Amino acid sequence: MSAPSIPVEAERRELRPAPQPLRRSLTKVPVYVLLGIGAIFALVPFVWMVSTALKTPGQLFKFPPEWIPNPVAWGNFGEAWTALPFGAMVLNSVFVTTLAMVGELGSAAVVAYGFARFQFRFRSVLFLLMLSTMMLPWVVTLIPGFLIWKQAGLINTFDPLTVGSLFAWGPFYVFLLRQFFLGVSRDIEEAAIVDGANAMQVLWYVMLPLVRPVLLAVAVLSFQGNWNNFKGALIYIQEPLERFTLPLGLQFFQASISNEAPRWHLMMSMSLLMVIPVVILFFLAQRQFIEGIQLGGVKG
Amino acid sequence: MFQWYAETLVRYLLVAAAIVGVMFLTYRGLRAAGVRREPATGFALIIPWFLGFLIWNLFPVAASLYLSLTDYNVLQSPNWVGLANYQQILGSDERFWASLRLTMAYSAITVPLGLALALLAATLLNQGVRGVGLWRTLYYLPAILPVFVTALLWRLLLLPTRSGLVNSATEPIWSLFGDSPPRWFLDPDTVLWGFVIMSFWGVFGANTVIMLAGLKNIPKDLYEAAEVDGAGLLPKFRHITIPQLTPTLFYLLVMGIIAGIQVFDQGLFVKVPQENFLNVYLYQQGFTFFHMGYASAIAWVMLVIILVLTLVVFRSSTAWVYYEGEVKR
Repeated sequence: MSAPSIPVEAERRELRPAPQPLRRSLTKVPVYVLLGIGAIFALVPFVWMVSTALKTPGQLFKFPPEWIPNPVAWGNFGEAWTALPFGAMVLNSVFVTTLAMVGELGSAAVVAYGFARFQFRFRSVLFLLMLSTMMLPWVVTLIPGFLIWKQAGLINTFDPLTVGSLFAWGPFYVFLLRQFFLGVSRDIEEAAIVDGANAMQVLWYVMLPLVRPVLLAVAVLSFQGNWNNFKGALIYIQEPLERFTLPLGLQFFQASISNEAPRWHLMMSMSLLMVIPVVILFFLAQRQFIEGIQLGGVKG
Repeated sequence: MFQWYAETLVRYLLVAAAIVGVMFLTYRGLRAAGVRREPATGFALIIPWFLGFLIWNLFPVAASLYLSLTDYNVLQSPNWVGLANYQQILGSDERFWASLRLTMAYSAITVPLGLALALLAATLLNQGVRGVGLWRTLYYLPAILPVFVTALLWRLLLLPTRSGLVNSATEPIWSLFGDSPPRWFLDPDTVLWGFVIMSFWGVFGANTVIMLAGLKNIPKDLYEAAEVDGAGLLPKFRHITIPQLTPTLFYLLVMGIIAGIQVFDQGLFVKVPQENFLNVYLYQQGFTFFHMGYASAIAWVMLVIILVLTLVVFRSSTAWVYYEGEVKR
């Protein structure tokens, strides 16, 4: 299957001669109005987030609300950075995300290749079994999983957040990659096999380069998923603060917010610092994001 | 501090090497046992997942079923208590029922309404509007924030009195009816609505994008044929768009139900006066009070709820999901 390319589709439609241009565009007015209302609903909270991140405590709850704080409290970012061991948390998040992404993608590619290209007994049963684990609520495996890591003496280390990724813990990624391996013509592979390449070499040198766009889409989703992994950190990392990842740091800080200490300006600057990498990635790799999401839905 | 990283890195590499080793041994073993090259390679390649399945799925599922029949509390070894945990949960645990009510109400409202809103947005985007890409980006933007940042943001927006943006903007409307604005997350009666509003903000992201792709896949000639017959906008939507889109809707409905019942992150980032979501209650039982046996039993109750609901949706799908032949209503 090929990913639908939407921009081309849209252009084609606009090029099509409209019989009554004025009336046609007039009937679209309600469409634009509704879309605009939706867009405002989507954007206003963002603007408020940025605005709050740049306020002094005194400006937080002014009435009527102040959109552009005066003065702009740029110092909030510095204060937010030192209110928690933020530097350590950023490093931890980067470390965990990198290892988990590499493990997740690498193992998913290997497993997907096995499911896509080799005939063996029970293959479809095993594949179905793998897909069905996606439906299993995470809380069912939560406590025994915790006990395994506890037995191994690895609570409060990054192992539970990273080592598990080597076991292709994202069945959805295996599924996506398999679909695309299925679409690659066998001739290309066979040429490599005749040249004496083994399965891993074929995967690395032939198959992966061919499905690079999908791999990128999966990488983007995987980055987002691991960077935002709150549950895992909450369960497995309890202390010290220097070992927290960013999501856990945010959760720790939010508990200190109260009516007496409304530190919302710091909370929002921390949140901004945390989401900036994902927002940048989104704008750089928008196509991959959106394709990754679409693939999941269309194939489902 | 870099020592932590080094230690984890070493163990990570050792496990990776071990997995590769098992793959290699599997291949060799199968070949030695007379299995042909192709199936042996296939088995060897899926080893990472298969090991993971045994260690992180099969064993934990069995272990959690066992633990749910015990009084395990981390400190002492588990004692068998039979069905006592389940009896207590279903019979006398007020907090369980309150969390379950909140969770079910939340899913019952947000899943269908969320799908409807996303469908509306996708339909509008599919009207050949200018700058589809830009609109789609705008609508997707809230969804790139992690759920817990969304939760923090809406907790701020929904602060009571005039502190929150929502209340200060809507105050005239409330005073028109002689009401004071809701206190949202501070009032047990409105907690649900706070979470519902929060969920609508993120709903346009993935669902709209997936539905838009689904809409683009509907053959154009269906619409053209209907136009020749003089069908208007609404009949076209009702008799072409909806039936053609049902496979996508079905997928999103199943995924939505499974995700809706498992909401968790939001609950831990918002302080609420009384009950929170079911998974938050489970987490507290397991990791605050260390009633791990009891928490396992709650997990199994949740598994059964999800299985039943999924089964119902799957059963009903023959009646409303259109793959070929005529639509049954």
